[in-house]
Amino acid sequence: MLRSAFPLISHLPPKKSPPIHPRPPPVRQYATATTSHPFTPPPLPPSLPPASAYVHLPFCRKRCHYCDFPIVALGSSSPTPSPHGEGAEDPRITDYVRLLLREVAATCPVPDVDDGVPLETVFFGGGTSSLVPPRLVAVVLDALRGRFGLSQCPEVSIEMDPGTFDAARLRELIGAGVNRVSLGVQAFQEDLLQACGRAHGLREVHEAVEIVTACEGLQNWSMDLISSLPNQTEAMWEESLRCTVDARPTHISVYDLQIEQGTKFGQMYTPGVHPLPSDSESANLYKIASKRLSEAGYHHNEISSYCKPGYECKHNVTYWQNRSFYAFGLGSASYINSVRFSRPRRMKEYAEWVQNLENGTWSHESRNSDMKEMAMDVVMLSLRTAWGLDLRSFSKSFGKSLTLSLCNTFKPFLESGLVIVMDMQRQALSPGDFELDLQNKCDSGSRSAFIRLSDPDGFLLSNELISLAFGIISP
Amino acid sequence: MAGAAALRRSARRIVRPLATATALSRTLQQPERLFSSQASPEHGPRGAMSGSELGLYTPELIRNFSIIAHVDHGKSTLADRLLELTGTIQKGHGQPQYLDKLQVERERGITVKAQTATMFYWHTSASHGPDTPRYLLNLIDTPGHVDFSYEVSRSLAACQGALLVVDAAQGVQAQTIANFYLAFESNLSIVPVINKIDQPTADPDNVKDQLKRLFDIDPSEALLTSAKTGKGLEQVLPAVIERIPSPPGKCDSPVRMLLLDSYFDEYKGVICHVAVVDGALHKGDKIASAATGRTYEVQDVGIMHPELTPTGVLYTGQVGYVISGMRSTKEARIGDTLHQAKITVEPLPGFKPAKHMVFSGLYPADGSDFEALSHAIEKLTCNDASVSVTKETSTALGMGFRKLNLGSFCSKVQVENPAALASNPGKRVVGCWEPTVIATIIIPSEYVGPVIMLCSERRGEQIEYTFIDAQRALLKYRLPLKEIIVDFYNELKGITSGYATFDYEDSEYQQSDLVKMDILLNGQPVDAMATIVHNQKAQRIGRELVEKLKKIIDRQMFEITIQAAIGSKVIARETLSAMRKNVLAKCYGGDITRKKKLLEKQKEGKKRMKRVGSVDIPQEAFHELLKSSGSK
Repeated sequence: MLRSAFPLISHLPPKKSPPIHPRPPPVRQYATATTSHPFTPPPLPPSLPPASAYVHLPFCRKRCHYCDFPIVALGSSSPTPSPHGEGAEDPRITDYVRLLLREVAATCPVPDVDDGVPLETVFFGGGTSSLVPPRLVAVVLDALRGRFGLSQCPEVSIEMDPGTFDAARLRELIGAGVNRVSLGVQAFQEDLLQACGRAHGLREVHEAVEIVTACEGLQNWSMDLISSLPNQTEAMWEESLRCTVDARPTHISVYDLQIEQGTKFGQMYTPGVHPLPSDSESANLYKIASKRLSEAGYHHNEISSYCKPGYECKHNVTYWQNRSFYAFGLGSASYINSVRFSRPRRMKEYAEWVQNLENGTWSHESRNSDMKEMAMDVVMLSLRTAWGLDLRSFSKSFGKSLTLSLCNTFKPFLESGLVIVMDMQRQALSPGDFELDLQNKCDSGSRSAFIRLSDPDGFLLSNELISLAFGIISP
Repeated sequence: MAGAAALRRSARRIVRPLATATALSRTLQQPERLFSSQASPEHGPRGAMSGSELGLYTPELIRNFSIIAHVDHGKSTLADRLLELTGTIQKGHGQPQYLDKLQVERERGITVKAQTATMFYWHTSASHGPDTPRYLLNLIDTPGHVDFSYEVSRSLAACQGALLVVDAAQGVQAQTIANFYLAFESNLSIVPVINKIDQPTADPDNVKDQLKRLFDIDPSEALLTSAKTGKGLEQVLPAVIERIPSPPGKCDSPVRMLLLDSYFDEYKGVICHVAVVDGALHKGDKIASAATGRTYEVQDVGIMHPELTPTGVLYTGQVGYVISGMRSTKEARIGDTLHQAKITVEPLPGFKPAKHMVFSGLYPADGSDFEALSHAIEKLTCNDASVSVTKETSTALGMGFRKLNLGSFCSKVQVENPAALASNPGKRVVGCWEPTVIATIIIPSEYVGPVIMLCSERRGEQIEYTFIDAQRALLKYRLPLKEIIVDFYNELKGITSGYATFDYEDSEYQQSDLVKMDILLNGQPVDAMATIVHNQKAQRIGRELVEKLKKIIDRQMFEITIQAAIGSKVIARETLSAMRKNVLAKCYGGDITRKKKLLEKQKEGKKRMKRVGSVDIPQEAFHELLKSSGSK
């Protein structure tokens, strides 16, 4: 159990040598910066200006059966994207991009243009972002660059679904400045893809993997998988993981299916009841993923994220470190000046909101965030990561006594192996050592520096453990 | 939910303080009731009745009586008619069922608190020749439920007679019998009234047979009435005057009176209902309580006509109210003797200090509500002497009160047990006693089998089994109080399709083989779950409880062993395996607010649970345990 406390990379060197980059990709600087740690977390000053932007591109062919995101289903009748992103563009897409550009233009850089920090990461998410013609993606990216600036080598990610792009279209995106692709594969079984209501089949999955891996200039890509799908067997899951590892993405997201109200799955299934796996079976799938992907040299750096050393999704790291970020588009959530704001999820309301933003009748407020809320955010986000909660910096921000209470709350789980406490060198502490630290009230001489949830058992019970911490922070 | 409702129902049936608490809140809400200026048809404006006028009513012109009946046999309606007949209240004015002052009484059709009304009635009797003297009649209403049998007995002690009201269709029922014997033992003259003769199913002759067979009442004595239509009502008060003796007190002795009831009025303080047995009570007199020895000065005295009507005096045999500066109703003990201060008098017989039979622990669902609960209880109980409140702390439930039972709170009913039980360290237990009751059950004969089964399951001992007529049987059982306190009545109603009538009176303690059964979660006893069970039933109850708990308690991050134990001996055990998974492995993009809301909800869920050691126990667990451990 305690072994998982150590960064896996120091023990399990990747079987295959890391990909060689023909030109320095943006993630490169991270890869070199992290020698012994999954990543080096900076302090958590919420006052740092945003250096990340999320752009929501909500278009999908159709809604997947598990999805409750704000999307716009175009239907299969919509013009098939031409290989070169030309030809008839769907007016719904062009209209939306126009709206998006208006929002970008109406959003004031924080703190202001001259002192502002250029964007380090941009993430085009969806929906199926790859349905948006590359030309329009480029226009949006240019607008962002114009408004906020882009750093020397930003991470620019886009979500792509199999069956929505070809090699040329991908090249076009790369040409526009995209340098990271997140491929929404979800499963390697025709039946499962169909059962999920995916708009593509297995053939498209293989084609897409082919296109992505063959694409020169794209070194950094991620694959999404979903576990606990209806009728998914352990054998199917093993197969999906094997196929994924064979495709050699630099990053893998493994999502445990959540049954959301109002979705087709929500109407059809009850969590834990056949054909969905039981909690126990579903926990088993999670453990298998953790095992197989670790064996293949991936580091389990967050509850649902795995990556090759140095290939964290820099954009997601922004979220987990509780740093501020811009967001643009339908239903998207931003975090600016300590304020989290979610845009309207309906197109009409979103359009009205953009109008108000332009008029100045709506503006991003600024306030001092409630300390409790802030502490809960930090705990919730950091405990989802392998890095864990930095006790010293938490103590500095939120006080020694709260930190001590948290430690005491987690103590029994250190003994049961759900929680791991580490020192500055990220060596795991024994329950006895931790106990000693607690008696010293975590004063000087204390060795405890980080607290994290174990992989996979602690991660599997993260809701319980985090809500326990919430109860301490805000009784 | 249905179970919880049943629990509340049964709690209401048993716990008197709830009803009295409601009485207070009513009094607080409607103080004007006490001062309403309803014109009295005979004595002019209220308050104008003079003491000298009252002095005209010597004991031979006074009759003190009560009405006793099974629930719904028409007691309250009959009382209303008598009050109207004598002009004490005006027909169609005021609330129907006048004496049932408490809303709870009207709602449920039972009388909880004793009420008294004085009426004046002209009657020509043989002994007075051609004169038509006016009589002073005191209708002393009794609590209709023998959960309050002591209170009933004290009210009856102030009477010389009783109207025994029986529904002409339903005939004698369990409470009829219990009440009859209470009255009979108090040497009251009984006037049988067969009521509701207007009903199509009325069978007065059958009822007369029952009265004869059960109570040896001469059928010719029965009055046939319909309080609803008014038929036969004119015979009632003459029968009261002619068949019931006048009060026997000594007019020239120092004052001695029986305290019937008391309540707290926000403006006047404690108001006591009293029956003057000997002598006369004047405003300004110094009186003393035989029970507490405290002395008081009479500040106000008068009759209930039916509202408080000051007269400045009450004479021998009269019934009225006294205000004497008592601070709390705890000083006014029902059955106490109040007498002229500074002299020694023989206390009236039958007084028993308040004895707590039913205990209940009262805990706020959320610990932070303790203060609010504390205030609420104080407000509700400051007028009720029969309630005592003690703060207590349970490791599972937090701070709470050991007290009365309110439906919306987590509650725990325990049965008093005088002996230290198994887990009490350092003391050797020499024996256990438990309180018992004598239960009277009347049922259609086809239900005799199941009812006997139920009673023997509840450790009942059969005392009597007779048929009261061709269709109905009467069963008398001695039952441990513990066995009937929670759900016996509901179950009885259930197995007899609602036909059973049931009543009980307190009986003595019996030695029995009781043990304290602890429930342990991960080896740690949960105080609020400990129950006292009969040794022979311990195994089965223990098994049922741990199985139930296994279903109710959610899986947690560790394995939980659930054990039932007697002393150090584990008699039942279940294991709840650890939770395997509770994770949100879904990417919401940067929208962490949703995720956070979910986790906060989860946190709130935990807060509503009670924590014992490291185990979170949902509130329902305590309710469920109550239901099953209460009496099986």
